Amino acid sequence: MPPTLVTVAVGVLLGVALLGAAFDCRSLALVAVVAAVPDLDAVLSLFVRGATNAALHNVFVPLAAAVALYADTRREESWLRARHGWYGVRVAWVAVAVYAVAGVGMDLFNVESAAVFYPVSNRYLSVVGKLVLSTQEGVVQTYVELGDGWLAAVSQGTTESRHIPTWVNPTPGTSNPPGADRTVRLVDSGWQLVVVATAAAAVPARFAVARRDR
Amino acid sequence: MPSSVVHAGFALLLAVGLLGPYFDRRAAAALIAVLLVPEADTLAGFVLDGAHRSLLHNLLLPAVAAVVFYRATTREESWLRRRFGDRGVRVVWVALFVHVFAHVGLDWYHLDGVNLFYPAVDRFFELSGEMYLSTGDGLVQTFVEVTADEGGTAVDAGQGGTTDDTHVANPAQPTEDTGTGGSSGADPVDRRAPIAVRGWQLYLVLTGLLAAAARTLQSAPPEDR
Repeated sequence: MPPTLVTVAVGVLLGVALLGAAFDCRSLALVAVVAAVPDLDAVLSLFVRGATNAALHNVFVPLAAAVALYADTRREESWLRARHGWYGVRVAWVAVAVYAVAGVGMDLFNVESAAVFYPVSNRYLSVVGKLVLSTQEGVVQTYVELGDGWLAAVSQGTTESRHIPTWVNPTPGTSNPPGADRTVRLVDSGWQLVVVATAAAAVPARFAVARRDR
Repeated sequence: MPSSVVHAGFALLLAVGLLGPYFDRRAAAALIAVLLVPEADTLAGFVLDGAHRSLLHNLLLPAVAAVVFYRATTREESWLRRRFGDRGVRVVWVALFVHVFAHVGLDWYHLDGVNLFYPAVDRFFELSGEMYLSTGDGLVQTFVEVTADEGGTAVDAGQGGTTDDTHVANPAQPTEDTGTGGSSGADPVDRRAPIAVRGWQLYLVLTGLLAAAARTLQSAPPEDR
């Protein structure tokens, strides 16, 4: 997975973008936490082999949340609206979007990949490649390649064959040797640092804007 | 440069929240114009050696612009506010934010980086490195490396060449000597205009579009708030 710090930064940026009138410290904190939740499947991987980037990094968790949310809010006597009003509904929808886009989506667009159809399929998928216009070669596109079978290039192994090391579970399998070297990655590359810095700057900017709009 | 498409995607994500009620097609078009204009230093590259990523890709220009905007918008009889209202003031500030973070910030990481303090200091900086906490090494960061030995202290913040010896490739001028005429040799020059390279660039584009689309679907808050 990309570092949790970067995932949270993207979640915060999405929160800044989408919370609108529901933007405040509380909703922003909730959104930041939601962005980090999928990375908890690393803890599960201590009990279930290969759960990292699979057990919570799939489309079914946000899909189920979205369906439940839709079913509740379209009713006349919606539980969520009765309890938290318009604010609660907005924050809930943004949280679902952040889970799917920042929490799961970011891993999908990364070589570390996510098993987005787990547990239906335990294959790690990733969308990496390029889209370039060239005067010599025309349009070069390698994000989605149709190999033998389908989408051959995007597969990155299965939860059985590949272990994604994390600081929680650095070694393959469910064993957890106490002496293992553990690394908490914070920022992997320059663009991630730019994203983190942007999120750090966007939050005070958004608060300033919110004061003005009121 | 990461392509203007990537800049625009990231900028859209930022603009949706910061423009707030002023977010509409016109404001978005203005921001995209602000993202495209700095690429004009590509054209200056034909006459001024190394102008691309120097002339309009630096931090001094936005710093000066910020001071000018601040003075222009806080005065009682602000010209900008009188002419374009609160909306104009907001768009100008968001444009500056987007230019610094979505354009200069992302370019800082790409290829030879950007000439951050041009024209005061002519030096390209490239942002590269990583940061992690490990049980063996503690907190490690390699973005800015400080090494001290007998010869003194050396700071490596990714600085590279100057405008004299650095050319950041771009589709208009793929190599330093091709100039306007393209190739003189046998092989035609391959001009490549990247749209998105690697997963994260496509991800930023899609996330920006998604945020803008989601914004149009959102319901207005009830009146009593």
